[in-house]
Amino acid sequence: MTVKEKIEKHLLSVQKPSRYIGGEVGSVIKDKSKIDVRFAFCFPDTYDIGMSHLGMKILYSLTNERENYWCERCFAPSEDFEAIMRENDIPLYALESLDPIKDFDFIGFTMQYELSYTNVLNMLDLAGIPIFASERGDELGQIVMAGGPCVCNPEPLADFFDIFVLGEGEEVNLELIDLYWEMKQQGASRLDFLRRAAQIDGVYVPRFYHFTYKEDGTISKVEASDGAPDIVHKRIIRDFDKVYYPENFVVPFTEIVHDRVSVEVLRGCIRGCRFCQAGFIYRPFREKHTDTICRETKCLCENTGYDEVSLASLSTSDHSEIDPMLTQLIDYTAKEKINLSLPSLRVDNFSESLLEKIKKVRKSGLTFAAEGGTQRLRDVINKNVTEEEIMNTCTIAFKGGYSAVKLYFMMGLPTETDEDIVGIAELAQRIVDLFYSIEDRPKGRGGVQVSVSCATFVPKPFTPFQFEPQDTREMIEHKQKLLLDSVKTKKIKVSYHDPNVSQLEVILAKGDRRLCKAIYTAWKKGCKFDSWEEHYRFDKWLEAFADCGIDPAFYANRRFEYDEILPWDHLDYFVSKRFLIRENQTAHQSKTTPNCRQRCSGCGVNKKVGRECFC
Amino acid sequence: MLRLRAVFEKKGRAKYISHLDLNRCMLRIFRRSKLPIWYTEGFNPHPYYAFALALSLGFESSCEIMDFNITDDEMSMEEIRDRLNAVMPEGMGIVSVAPQEKKVTAITHADYSFELETANVPGLRNDIEKLLAGESILIEKKTKKGIKTVDIKPDLQVLTFEDGNGCIKMSLRLPAGTQTNYNPTLFFDALRNAGSESFEARNIRRTAILCEDGTDFK
Repeated sequence: MTVKEKIEKHLLSVQKPSRYIGGEVGSVIKDKSKIDVRFAFCFPDTYDIGMSHLGMKILYSLTNERENYWCERCFAPSEDFEAIMRENDIPLYALESLDPIKDFDFIGFTMQYELSYTNVLNMLDLAGIPIFASERGDELGQIVMAGGPCVCNPEPLADFFDIFVLGEGEEVNLELIDLYWEMKQQGASRLDFLRRAAQIDGVYVPRFYHFTYKEDGTISKVEASDGAPDIVHKRIIRDFDKVYYPENFVVPFTEIVHDRVSVEVLRGCIRGCRFCQAGFIYRPFREKHTDTICRETKCLCENTGYDEVSLASLSTSDHSEIDPMLTQLIDYTAKEKINLSLPSLRVDNFSESLLEKIKKVRKSGLTFAAEGGTQRLRDVINKNVTEEEIMNTCTIAFKGGYSAVKLYFMMGLPTETDEDIVGIAELAQRIVDLFYSIEDRPKGRGGVQVSVSCATFVPKPFTPFQFEPQDTREMIEHKQKLLLDSVKTKKIKVSYHDPNVSQLEVILAKGDRRLCKAIYTAWKKGCKFDSWEEHYRFDKWLEAFADCGIDPAFYANRRFEYDEILPWDHLDYFVSKRFLIRENQTAHQSKTTPNCRQRCSGCGVNKKVGRECFC
Repeated sequence: MLRLRAVFEKKGRAKYISHLDLNRCMLRIFRRSKLPIWYTEGFNPHPYYAFALALSLGFESSCEIMDFNITDDEMSMEEIRDRLNAVMPEGMGIVSVAPQEKKVTAITHADYSFELETANVPGLRNDIEKLLAGESILIEKKTKKGIKTVDIKPDLQVLTFEDGNGCIKMSLRLPAGTQTNYNPTLFFDALRNAGSESFEARNIRRTAILCEDGTDFK
């Protein structure tokens, strides 16, 4: 019986079966007999989430541009279908050919968040691929690789992967596949291939790096073997305006999280918010021209039939041509009856004219990422937003008919005191008061609604806060209670994250190679879909850490010293450690650093790229 | 404005597209085709199209009905059909497009074919014959007002009934439309409730949507 026949016997007894059978418009089908290299692009979460991921869409189309390579998609099955797969010996398969991915040349995962690590192990297991890289034999094939933001510290995953790709995959993926195909024809072994692959800029082969530890548990040295470079540099696309962008997306039948066309308008960020990993690892700032953005939008809307477009970037309003760009886009989308949604608009350059344009398109909620409750704390994290700016924007918005405001904050930030927590409630209260002080505010049911959403701060590698400890659970719980007690009105709604989840996140983010066995043990104990509240089992994780002799506090609640060798110090994301230390010190003096457009603060990226970021 | 009716197929992998998803899917098909489809004129204009009958998830069909309007009166039926077919997902295709003649309320029946896979073909055949020979076939049907017991016997017409390879092949005519709608799964339930041989229904397909006089609904 083929995989297809096996699946079809059970498909009607699972939820949303169209996720498991492929056949969507835009999916790429090729003639197997004419294919040299097969690539399974795996997203370690369910279809509904993975299909929303822009990176997959880009690399999928890019690889499939090459006639003799075939890139297919693969996702983690939901619990109901996984049970059926295990019961009926259905191996994990790719959605285009419905062939088992264990027979593929590359099994590539994108690592978007730490809490998806156990899903990788589960997917390899479902596929019938050995979970440990060391158990995959000598033959060339079944190369398990990963990319994405989490691989900037890939050490907790090092035992499971053959290759990590650092930085942007658009060029390096094809170089890797080309090398593979060349060596496959020569009959090379797996090890031969990995040795040569390690010479490609941006390719990190973890088995060639050896860690020794001091008695206190910190790293004493990292040594490279097999001719692999001591330092591996990330890859970037130099001419971002000319970078490959797909002309078509796979259009799912079932509704997915981001069910729309997304067009990437810029990469990198000029802001330098000190907690934000994306803001540092994606440097330098590069943007696409208005014409390119409009052309790509039109092309994708026509080919997919979507009636909604969103602009993807870390901070769309920092685009140097934001006004002409939105004007052109709105002209097109209004004519074609397409919704244009604009996430991540920053408070500080939210002009009245821009708001007018957005209002023309659609009236949705107002969202501000204030992150800190007081100006002092916002200065510490370099979130260069002042209360005056928030109030000005709210005034414009309230006069323009808005009555709901969403505020994002973090809790447990470095130097944070109770005063900063109370400050969150006070800021929200001043927005409520502002609303009622406006004469021409929107009248009607409910009045104003301010939603305060508090995440727990997770220090991340390659940020100035990479050295910082995370608050313990007791500290976070105290702050959460304090915030709730400080809110005096029902107009303000408070929600916050489970601190246990954030704790696991920081351990996996800042961990070293010794965590591999804890991840394996946790998965063996049944942990998977850790980012899903209903699946998260912190008790099992604690058991796993204990079984492996790992103290979670060593990674979560300890300050990493400036002169300590960090697990990711041999990886170069272009931002220098010296700069990160300097920024950390500036943070502790509650001083801000101007954004990259105002003044270069010497992060080191321009030296690596060999040109100034802004001329 | 042309008021049109399309007959379309939904087969193969497309049978896993739920009715709700089909709505979204069709919207994107229309957009990709760039046909001058008529938009509603309300506060939130959207393309107007409507399906005559919902099709259960997992059923195939060769005769689904969809109504829609085109603002260009000059366009030929063939062009409309071809432009839609050029942008359809695998398993879906427009059989024909024609101006609407009858109202959707004219639909009274639909035909279904299916196979009942079983290890004991003669035994199951016997069970089916017994069920059909009985005075009534009572089943519990979920309605908006709760569960109610109905006798489907008077409304059930067996069109074909024969042995296949490891299965029984059947086709039924059942009431469909705005008044009464019977799904062939009701018949399977009744069979199981009567303690029949165990079986799996497969290849369920709607083969016709009919009017009172037995002609195809168009």
